[in-house]
Amino acid sequence: MLVIATSDKGGTGRSVTSCNVAYRRALQGSDVCYLDFDFGSPTSGAIFSIDPVSRGTEGGGLHSYLQGKIAEPQRIDVWRQTDRETLRSRPPGAGRLVLLPGDQGGGEFSMTKDILQRCTKLFVRLLEEFDLCVVDLSAGRSYAAELVLAATAQQELRGVPHRWLVFHRWTRQHVIAASGLVYGRRGLIEAGAERGHDSQVLADSIRFVRTAVVNPDSEELAGLRPTQVVWLLDCNKDLQELARQHQLGRTMVLATIPLDPVLQMREQLISDRDVWASQIANAATVAAFDQLARRIADDAAWDEL
Amino acid sequence: MPSPARSDAGGDGAGILIGEVHTGLLLNSASLRQDMLPAVLGLLPGERVRSFERPISHAVSPELLVGVDCDLSTASGTRVRGIGTLAVRAAITGGRVLQGSAWTRLMGGHAEHRLPWSHYLARPGVVETVGRRRNHPYHADLADGFLDRTNNRKAPGIDFGAICGQIMGEVQRSPYLDRRSPFKAARTTLRWVAEESPERRIGFILGDDGSRTTRITFDGQPISAVIELCEDLALHDWLLSTLLDVIDRGMPSDGPHETMMRRIRPAVDHLIHLWMPGARVVESLLPLWESLDTKPGFTRQWDTLVNRIRDQLALRTLTLLSASAEGVPGRNEQGIRS
Amino acid sequence: MTSAHVTFGEVAAERRISNIPLSHVSVELGHLYMDDFEAGRDALRRQFERVRPWAETVTQINEGRVRRPRISTCFLIDDYFTRFSTPSVVIGDLLAASEAAGLRIDYIARESGCAVADGVPLAELVHARLVPDPPPGTNGSRPPPHESGWLSNGERSPSGGVDEAMGQVAAWLPPRENAARHHSIFLDVEMWTDEGDRRIWSCPYLAAVWQLLRLGLLRDDGRPVAVPVPAPDPLPDDWDDLPAIIQMVPSAPPFAAYTTMSVLSSRFLPVEHAVRVILGQVSISAAVLEQTVRRGADENLEIPRDILKRIGYAIPGEI
Repeated sequence: MLVIATSDKGGTGRSVTSCNVAYRRALQGSDVCYLDFDFGSPTSGAIFSIDPVSRGTEGGGLHSYLQGKIAEPQRIDVWRQTDRETLRSRPPGAGRLVLLPGDQGGGEFSMTKDILQRCTKLFVRLLEEFDLCVVDLSAGRSYAAELVLAATAQQELRGVPHRWLVFHRWTRQHVIAASGLVYGRRGLIEAGAERGHDSQVLADSIRFVRTAVVNPDSEELAGLRPTQVVWLLDCNKDLQELARQHQLGRTMVLATIPLDPVLQMREQLISDRDVWASQIANAATVAAFDQLARRIADDAAWDEL
Repeated sequence: MPSPARSDAGGDGAGILIGEVHTGLLLNSASLRQDMLPAVLGLLPGERVRSFERPISHAVSPELLVGVDCDLSTASGTRVRGIGTLAVRAAITGGRVLQGSAWTRLMGGHAEHRLPWSHYLARPGVVETVGRRRNHPYHADLADGFLDRTNNRKAPGIDFGAICGQIMGEVQRSPYLDRRSPFKAARTTLRWVAEESPERRIGFILGDDGSRTTRITFDGQPISAVIELCEDLALHDWLLSTLLDVIDRGMPSDGPHETMMRRIRPAVDHLIHLWMPGARVVESLLPLWESLDTKPGFTRQWDTLVNRIRDQLALRTLTLLSASAEGVPGRNEQGIRS
Repeated sequence: MTSAHVTFGEVAAERRISNIPLSHVSVELGHLYMDDFEAGRDALRRQFERVRPWAETVTQINEGRVRRPRISTCFLIDDYFTRFSTPSVVIGDLLAASEAAGLRIDYIARESGCAVADGVPLAELVHARLVPDPPPGTNGSRPPPHESGWLSNGERSPSGGVDEAMGQVAAWLPPRENAARHHSIFLDVEMWTDEGDRRIWSCPYLAAVWQLLRLGLLRDDGRPVAVPVPAPDPLPDDWDDLPAIIQMVPSAPPFAAYTTMSVLSSRFLPVEHAVRVILGQVSISAAVLEQTVRRGADENLEIPRDILKRIGYAIPGEI
């Protein structure tokens, strides 16, 4: 299955969440690969704490592959290559976790027929070996999004499930922007239909992920003044209404990721150890990642929404 | 029947054969039916897909050629330029396992410089080295250089991996496949060298990341027989590796029954009946297979794994039966733990 | 335990390659386009008269080489790029003109037959067998760069421009012939263009298929293709009703041959260069190649495996 992560605006925590979801899914026993399609800024290596590729690889990454300079893009086994000792070595029962980084110094490039063909080939190639391929796009209407929309509409990928996760922060500006990216002019659905997708099928394969959400009832906010809490609750209600108007209502939401200081300070994989032993991350965050990882591939979760 | 790699070229006898076999899972929900094989493997219009039904369904695409002109890998780091063609084909076994197999024969060429391309196309499946060289140390240098994947001094050489990957990709993207395989499996790659020698030898090295190397000798057998032996070896090594992986992950002893079944079932349904070592190997090369089967003992390991799976399944079934006999209300399979 | 000798075979597993009869030389006496036809019968006769000494020379040379040379002659009519007149009129004129010039035409082929012959898409079969001439440095890592519909004998000049946002601008480089010794003769051949759903094969491309037919090197699943049939009597009115190759002389030696010789006016020189660039990149089935070489050996002839060495020309100017 292909899962494509996108957002309209930057700073939604899209990459760090999708990396964590990939990690969780691997822990749950699936073979997972993560493709860094953020071509303008290929830095997912940093989230997986793989220092040599923190700004992309020098060994032939996705940029080189898609432009036809190499036969296959470099693959990095995260379990083996990560610098974080607590993550190294694959836990029993866990699946493979592989990163396909972009090129160091790589930039955006426009889509050609050849690039589209190579992208399709790559997806077919990875589907042979992986249960889940997470494709992390850059923010907004990008060439990468166009490329993946076109590739998933190709004959070769018709029968393969692909699901879109649109990330947005829980703010007015982000809600409106995310809605625009999906439903707006030259948005995912319109652009997808032009490239051969069935609009309804495509719309059914899109869900939203709210990130950095402040829960006004949470313990962390216990120190707030009652007026602040009332104000937060009002805002939240307004946002719910706004989201509903923009077709981002609760039924369209696959997961809500709470605000977590660890993710704010440093974008990284959050291990169970970070929660239980060193207690630097919140259990609620890990629970949200874990749940998102399960729901991504759970047909029932998508049907019932 | 002449094999495509047969050639009149070369000033140094038979040369050496080098090749690579990549093995993976065919991207289809069901095992591919025998009558679909010609459509899926018909990669060269006008040429027949050869198919076999006994003792196991097996089909081979026509051989395609790929042109190269590059420095070959040598163990010593000496520069040797090779020009010519590789033969490459795809094969499907049991309607389930896909292989990409590429090979060429390295031979000393006559010329000090590159000849017109038609000269090389007249010797399909032969790569000629440029410039005259003496026979033996030179062959060993090329063979060692090819098999050693870690030597940084050497030229990258011919990219067999890309060539095998290309043809496998072409099959996997066939409109006749639905690309919904019941499980996922990593590919393995077998890199091989074969030299003509009256002395019977075979070596097999298991590397990281699914990479294997083998070195064999043959004595008068046609090249096609040597290639088939290597493909058969690669197929069984992949079956074993894949089953090991399935068991590694599917049999943590405390997992829920349903999870275990989800992981083990595909192996039972799709892989176990494919084990048939030497099925297509010519008799005179069978002793090579047999010696590998003695040490490290492929079949022994396979049998052990299969028995383990059967035992587990039998055990789980028994547990299930006894649970249902107790008639616990509201309990389903998922809730039962061993 | 006694062992039995067992034989077991599967039909679907075998590769059978038909043998086809072969002459020593196939001589092409000419190639007819609409303009040539419209120039009239006299012009045709004069053309054959110019060809005759070359055709006779081929016979002389071969009589010196083998005891009883089998030499067949053939003629190609364009019905692919332009359609003119009818088979009975054109072929009638041709036979009359050649006879007047003292030449015998054994086989007549139509150019459309090089694209599709009796339902077999020859041009496509050959296209699938192209193995592009690899520029130095090619190690198989990526498929050779190709321009759809074009085939060259070397490396093209880079197209320039920038691949990536803020990437480097590529500098101009000359094209280079792969087999160049000191200097290049680079040639880029257009093999086809697509017009809507229809693929139009180029003249040199079809001429390359024509050479392969004359060399007897094409098969479809092991079966011979474009097998010559006796000329129907009367000849049909529509070109499409005419078989790809018809045999005019019942006792003629076989159409296909170990070698070919074409007598062509010098205006065809660039076309034939292009034909050789294409043929130099066609991989002939190893089994067919082997078969031809073996049959030559049976007749004490050494047939080169390199097919370009089997293709010869006489190219007089247009006097």
